[in-house]
Formats: sequence, C-alpha cells, structure tokens
Amino acid sequence: MTPRPARLAGWIVPTLCPGAAFAHAPVPGIKGFYIGLLHPFSTPAQALLMLGVGLLAGSFALERAKAPIAAFVGLSLVGLFAGSAEWVLDPAMYGIAVIACTHAALAPGRGVPLAALVLGVGGLVIGAASIPDAGPARDRAFTMTGSLFGAGMGLLYIAGLSAIVKERFAAPVVQIGFRVLAAWTGAIALVMLALLYAQPPAP
Amino acid sequence: MPLRAFILFVGCLALFGAAGLPALAHEGSGYGGGFIAGFTHPILGWDHVAAMVAVGLWGAVLGAPSIWILPVVFPLVMALGAVAGILGIPVPAVETGIALSAVVLGLMVVFAARPPIWIAAVIVGAFAIFHGYAHGTELPATVNAFAYAIGFVISTGLLHLIGIAFGLLVSRPGGRIAVRAAGGVISLAGVAFLTGLA
Repeated sequence: MTPRPARLAGWIVPTLCPGAAFAHAPVPGIKGFYIGLLHPFSTPAQALLMLGVGLLAGSFALERAKAPIAAFVGLSLVGLFAGSAEWVLDPAMYGIAVIACTHAALAPGRGVPLAALVLGVGGLVIGAASIPDAGPARDRAFTMTGSLFGAGMGLLYIAGLSAIVKERFAAPVVQIGFRVLAAWTGAIALVMLALLYAQPPAP
Repeated sequence: MPLRAFILFVGCLALFGAAGLPALAHEGSGYGGGFIAGFTHPILGWDHVAAMVAVGLWGAVLGAPSIWILPVVFPLVMALGAVAGILGIPVPAVETGIALSAVVLGLMVVFAARPPIWIAAVIVGAFAIFHGYAHGTELPATVNAFAYAIGFVISTGLLHLIGIAFGLLVSRPGGRIAVRAAGGVISLAGVAFLTGLA
C-alpha cells in the first residue's frame, strides 16, 4: 500500500466507527463562558464595532498598536463592571465603528493617541454591552469572563490577521484592500446608525 | 492547454446556465433576501452601473494614489447620502444628479482629466451623495436592513473594481484608446439617462 492510500484509509476508518457524541461541557456553568465568548460578535452593532477597531489596530505596526490594544482591553474591563444591562448602546457602537473605520481608511498607521482613544471608548462600550441579565453570580461571572475574553481575542485575531496578511504580501494592493474594507465597513455602520433614527414607515 | 481548459470552463458554465430552473425556495425576507435586494440594487440600475464603473476607470487613469482614494471616498460619502435618504432629508434632482454623474465621470475618462487629487475626490464624493440617496430611499421596508446595507456597499465596491480592472489596460498598447472609448460610451449613456432616452 503506497503512503497516500494508507493516509486516506487512516482518515476513512475512524469515520466508519463513530462513537456517541458527548457534547456537553464537563465544567458546570462553562456554557455561559461560551455564550459570552461569542457575545461581542452577536449583533450587527457589536460585530461592526469589533471589525472597525480591529482594522484600526491592524493598520499599525504591532509595536505601535500595543497602546491602543491595551486601552481597549483595559477599558472593556471597566465597562463590564461600570455599565448597566439597561443601557442602549447600539448608536454609540455604530458611531465608534464609523470613526474607527474612517481613521483606518483615510490615515492607516497614523495617530496612535487618537487610535488609543477610539479603541478605548470602543472597549468601554463593548464591555458595557456585555453585562448579562440578572441571575446567579457564578453564571454571570462565567458569562462576563467569556465576554471579556471574546472581545480581547476577537480584537487580537482581526488585528493580527491583518498584520500577518500585510507582512506576507507586501504588494501595495494589499494595503489598498484593507483601506477599501475599512471604508465599506464604515459605510455600512453609518447606514445602520441612520436606520436607528429613521422614522418607521407609515402604515 | 490553458485555452482548452478555458473553453471547457466556459462550456460548463453555459451548460449549467442553460439547465437552470427557477428557484422557488426564497421568500425575499431575512438576511438572504436583504443581501440580494441590496446587492442587486446598484447592478440592476444601469445609471448606477455606468457611474460606478466610471469611478474605477478614472481612478485607474489617474494612477496612484487616486486608484484607491476614489473607491475609498465613494462608499463613505455614498453612505452619507443613504443617511439623508433614510432620514427623509430632501435632496433635489437626485435622478438628474445620478445621470449627470455618468456624463461627467465618463468625460473625465475620455479626456484623461488629471485635476488635483482633492478636486477628483470632491467631484466623486458629490455624485456619491445622489447614488447613496437613491439606495437609502429605495430600501425596501420588508428586508433586513443590515444585510441590505452590506449588499449594496459590496456591490458598489465590486463595480468600482471592474472599472479599475478595465482601466489598468491603460498601461498596455492600445489599452489607453479602449479605456477612453469606454469613458465615451459611459458619457453617452449618461446623456441618454439625462434626456430620458434610456
């Protein structure tokens, strides 16, 4: 048997003898952590905010992006404890997404203090938006930890991915592509912001 | 061999296209319906198509940095126009503005006009207001607004890319004439939109 069929058989045989799936989390309450992990991307407002601040952070060289990323992570922790589940934060999230995307599209890699301010406010808002409803303290702690972790990891993944792509592909068109992506994301966020204030159509 | 592969590919595409049946499973609402409605809105309006492609063509004719500044400026300003449309802020002569955008941008390509970059951005941005306004006012109430916004922004961007891709022919022998001729066709189409012939 040549190596390739052997490898193929190695893949096929396990699929022919599946066992029962035990998909339940072994740690009690960890489900809340997983829910929190995805929470920063669970609504259009949060997803656009995360993408916007991620693109802005990714427009800087990693050394220069440390302060904006630290501001985001630090203030998301503050927002998580200082905010309220009653707050309506969608307008703020769309607004910050527009500012972050405009910055990333028109002046990528420039203005670290402004980027730190935008990411800091973004972190504060995403933290405040991640406060779970009333419930047992233990479950809330799991969910809040997951949210904090998800927001931080999401930002690092988006910023890191854009940094890696730019490092691997040095062609100017790649940099242009990220500017265009930021402009498109900002445009979508601006339209969504307007829709929040649009009059409902007459019946 | 590559030519045979290309012919085979085109043949397969034609075969699949000819064998297609109407899809009856779509209800037109939700994320899918919203995205399709937004994505097709700029494509199904020839006046939008002509102007979007002209933006890309002009950017390619102008070269760097305009080749990316114009497609970056256009969606951002277009979104402002959409905001005006959604909020019901009156903007006069929207259809005239859209038709005029094809005429003016087409002429810019025909004459390979090279104004300062900020003037080019202002011209493109001014016309983007009209296009965005049309997208905003014609947003169907029944579709998902988020998906609609994603659809029409991506569609607009792809039309720019088509213009840029065609415009890159300017660096090839004879390409400059082809690109300027395309600008002429767009400009004439704009005149037809303006006079109601199309």
